[in-house]
Amino acid sequence: MIEVLDLVKHYTAADGQIVRAVDGVSFAVGPGEMVGLLGANGAGKTTTLRVLATLLRPTSGTARVAGCDVVLDPVGARCQLGYVSATTGVPDRLTPREILQSFGRLHGVAAETLDDRVEQLLGVLDLVSCADRPAGRLSSGQRQRVSVGRALVHNPPALVLDEPTSVLDVFGSRDLLAFLANLRSEGRAILLSTHRLHEIENRCDRFVIIHGGRVAAQGTRAQVAGPGGSLEQGFFAAVEGTRA
Amino acid sequence: MTTTNTIGTMLQQPADDAQPLPRGTLLAAVLAVAGFQLRRLFTLPRLAIAALGVLFPAAVLLAVRKTLSGSMDGTVVVILYALIPEALCMLGLLVTMCPVVADELERGTWAHIAVRPHGRRALLLGTFLAAVAWTAAVAILALCLALAVSGMAHPWKRFPLFAALVGLSCLGRAALFALPAVIVPKRALVASVGVAIVVEYLAGFLPAVVNQLTVSLRLRSLLVQGMGWGRQMPAGMQLLIDTNPVWIQCGAVVLLAGVLLVASVLILDRRQFPPSEEG
Repeated sequence: MIEVLDLVKHYTAADGQIVRAVDGVSFAVGPGEMVGLLGANGAGKTTTLRVLATLLRPTSGTARVAGCDVVLDPVGARCQLGYVSATTGVPDRLTPREILQSFGRLHGVAAETLDDRVEQLLGVLDLVSCADRPAGRLSSGQRQRVSVGRALVHNPPALVLDEPTSVLDVFGSRDLLAFLANLRSEGRAILLSTHRLHEIENRCDRFVIIHGGRVAAQGTRAQVAGPGGSLEQGFFAAVEGTRA
Repeated sequence: MTTTNTIGTMLQQPADDAQPLPRGTLLAAVLAVAGFQLRRLFTLPRLAIAALGVLFPAAVLLAVRKTLSGSMDGTVVVILYALIPEALCMLGLLVTMCPVVADELERGTWAHIAVRPHGRRALLLGTFLAAVAWTAAVAILALCLALAVSGMAHPWKRFPLFAALVGLSCLGRAALFALPAVIVPKRALVASVGVAIVVEYLAGFLPAVVNQLTVSLRLRSLLVQGMGWGRQMPAGMQLLIDTNPVWIQCGAVVLLAGVLLVASVLILDRRQFPPSEEG
């Protein structure tokens, strides 16, 4: 469902230096699979996710969402993808209902189904009680739930989430990850990045650890962490091994 | 957050036989963005600024009337032209069109719009529509009020001409400001003021081919033609207007706006903003 092959993304910094943000990353996420993308700050996680979301063009390599190449068929890829960023990016003056409706219309969801879809999302995301309150007066958790609803308004088979729990407290994180697990059980492919390894240790099917723009390790928890090890230990071992 | 199995029955994963996911049309997306942007404009601070814009030309005309004597229709028309299709429309569009990309970057909404099938184009064209509609509405209200207090012999006879000038000014200038807004989003306001001064008011007054590419030449020419001032103008002033028929003046503005918008859309399609540039 989500395929990344030899992905390279270089930037030219203000001083003219070439920054190798992503330097040959490959991995895949199948339907009904939740994969954690792990790495330190600046490792290339967000750049990889943004290439998948068609926000950035790769320097070379391939990225596909449901078979749609993000360069050759960006519109097709966007139709198949829901994207949640670390910053919720929820307009303060609009209400959750207005935001979901606006983005549903922007995405081309048919008018006859949009109202039902919005009401369902408000219900399932526990936003009914604040559905008509301006988003500027919502809590961080509620705003992130609006952001998740916005990503799901067109019912995409693939979801990409960039540090979705970074603004949430422990309860909000637990609920969001449980919600994502339900979406996975429906057959959706989910790729999420996070720094909170303990939160996803037992939630994700596989992990991809990137460091310095390259894949340092990938596999199941057991494969990454080693026998009896924790994900955190596996993460440090992979990153320190790359450094060494 | 509900975490029961009801999610599974509600948001069903599209199967092979399921309906294809919506791709939407560009028009629907543009209208969605336009509605979204207009809702953003309907806030108290924005309405207060718009009210000032509506009152300002009338206040200036009232002040001018006290200092002039005799027939002053020509003077009033020139003041109206300078204040409404030129100054008011320009200012209104600077405020509404210039931040089209910068606002989304600062608010962190750029990614969520750009990830939609026609998101980038819809953002630009929808904001263009909203900016033109909002600015033109404010300018037309200002025009009505200014005409009512103008003291001209038959003020409402001038309404169609000035309404057309307002419409063309908004159309052309909104497209003109779209270009710096997508090229240098974070400095769009400064760049647009520069473009307005250099292109519209320097190049526009040069008696050379380059002024054919400006909105200001077309508006001036339409004003002169509409008022029937062509024959009375000194030869030197004739160089500052274009004597082609009205439809050519209007067509030139529409064509210019179209070319600028297409260029802006193509540039925005290719823009990439690193995460560090987003708020």
